[in-house]
Amino acid sequence: MNLWLIAAFGVGACLFPCADLCLRGTVERRLVGLELSSLIATVVCALLTVGFRRLPFMDLPLTLALMSLGAGLVFARFLERDL
Amino acid sequence: MRHLLTMASLAMVVGSCWIGALGAWRMRDPMQSLHYLSVPATVGTISLTIAIFLETGWSSATIKGIVVCAVLVASNSIGAHAAARAIRTRRLGHWEPRKGDGVEFVARQEKS
Repeated sequence: MNLWLIAAFGVGACLFPCADLCLRGTVERRLVGLELSSLIATVVCALLTVGFRRLPFMDLPLTLALMSLGAGLVFARFLERDL
Repeated sequence: MRHLLTMASLAMVVGSCWIGALGAWRMRDPMQSLHYLSVPATVGTISLTIAIFLETGWSSATIKGIVVCAVLVASNSIGAHAAARAIRTRRLGHWEPRKGDGVEFVARQEKS
């Protein structure tokens, strides 16, 4: 267990309030929870990559960051009228 | 010294993510919650990039960390704007500022 893994667990624990945002309340609140949880997940992936010394896996948080932008935009678009 | 700086950067990553998560969680209105996304997206990712640089030097991981940081900073502003626009459209049926909304805006001058 090194510093990076401890930080990854610390940041990963932020997913609990994100889960509450996503699972309860209005649809608007859930969209905010989705965007926040994708951001937190990207940071956790980067921390785990360095923590486990698997530096080529930095592609994973990069891909997640790019894909989560599209996912958030699609949900926001549907939220306007259809959900 | 480098170890201490790495530790401080990682502490800033964890702290900023917690501030963002708890702030977004505690706010009543989703519009208010959206503002807290910027803390982990800017402070958190910049601190993370600094920590990766301190740990690995100028490696491919650092360059990818810089790209991740740039993508998250840019996508956070785009995503927050899209979400705010969607929330406003869902509530009011439109997203343009109109009189009586309580939002300051510069009225478009009509051509005479």
